[in-house]
Amino acid sequence: MLHEITLTVNGEQRTVAVKSHHTLLKVLREQLGITSPKIGCENGECGACTVLMNGKAVNSCLVLAVEADGAVIETVENLSKEGELHPLQQAFVEHNAIQCGFCTPGMIMSAKGLLDRNPHPTVDEVKEALAGNLCRCTGYIRIVDAVMDVAKKGDA
Amino acid sequence: MQPFDYYKPKTFEEAFDYLTLPGKTVFPLAGATDFIPSYRDGVWQADAVCDIKALPGVRDLRETPEGLWVGACVLMSELARSPLVRAHWEVLAQGAEVVGSEQVRNRATIGGNMCTASPCADTPPPLYVLDAVVVLKSKAGERRVPVTEFFTFVRKTVVQKGELVTGVIIPKPPAGTVGEYHKLSRRQGCDLSLVSVAVLAAPRNGGYDWRIALGAVAPTPIRVPDAEAILSKGWDAASIDEAAKAAEKTAKPITDVRSSDVYRYEMVRNLTRRAVRSVAEKLKK
Repeated sequence: MLHEITLTVNGEQRTVAVKSHHTLLKVLREQLGITSPKIGCENGECGACTVLMNGKAVNSCLVLAVEADGAVIETVENLSKEGELHPLQQAFVEHNAIQCGFCTPGMIMSAKGLLDRNPHPTVDEVKEALAGNLCRCTGYIRIVDAVMDVAKKGDA
Repeated sequence: MQPFDYYKPKTFEEAFDYLTLPGKTVFPLAGATDFIPSYRDGVWQADAVCDIKALPGVRDLRETPEGLWVGACVLMSELARSPLVRAHWEVLAQGAEVVGSEQVRNRATIGGNMCTASPCADTPPPLYVLDAVVVLKSKAGERRVPVTEFFTFVRKTVVQKGELVTGVIIPKPPAGTVGEYHKLSRRQGCDLSLVSVAVLAAPRNGGYDWRIALGAVAPTPIRVPDAEAILSKGWDAASIDEAAKAAEKTAKPITDVRSSDVYRYEMVRNLTRRAVRSVAEKLKK
């Protein structure tokens, strides 16, 4: 079954025909050309596909594309402006919070989801917000440090 | 993923027509966080899904004369962060905030958590001690089922084909009620419960009415009347130990990939003792 849906992706309104059984992750990557959400476990365990949906972090592998009709979707592609990295991106670079990079877009979107609703989280709150994002290089300490750095500066 | 059709009705009449389409298996869809993996892995079969999120009242979270109305599609993250829930139904907020990850809590719903009926689900034990009532609707009308009668076995509930859970009504506990939900899992974040315990102490006739429910240690959540009776007479250290032992006796855990039954028995005792002590500490304040 095909459904015509309209959603705002990274500030741009897009209308696409999607199949009932296709996930938001699949449609973002294969129909809308947005590849920062990664295909990891496709089970909601790893968080590599995390995007913001109406401002909240969600696993795009656990959302049917048709459910996103009318939604506002934000991915890491939308963060840098005019060649300037977003403070979270800058902090990840400065803290060497990136190793292979596969988990990074999801980590950053989960962190943004947290800072948007809670600009000054504690370390425990950061860890809780990132608990659904796995880094198989296991570089968690630097990732948490990077998020805390932005939280302390309060400029996310 | 194998194809299926998708419907999103705006009225209950329309929804019941979809759910009873002749010759079709139409699966009610709320947050989809259980549906997508279970369908893809072939655990659940469906010709179509009926997305219930646009139905009237299912997103509402509000206080009514009967208590708290939690619509079936209220999110775990909404329950966890609602000041209203935190103020009067704290134990439910505690259960909701330890479901899955933040991403899952932003999609997963209370109706889905109940209808999936996993024994290790985190919102049912709090609902058990809060004496919640489940509201179901079908073409035939509405019926109400006490939450303690809602689950019938592992992944089985009283919900009939063509019927939907529309929400839960939770009576407002008397002022001075305190509760705690404790969950044990292999790691602290984003994991399923090995054992969970909900404890509530509600003021009654100058004393306290204690309620205890266990999760993940039987085919359905279970109340522990023996432990409740012991504590309702007093909660000195010896009584707390007795109550914890009673909880261990009531539990019927299995051995699975997450832990052995032997370990779970011990943890039921420890976790019950710990949760009751936390409630007792709160009562002293």
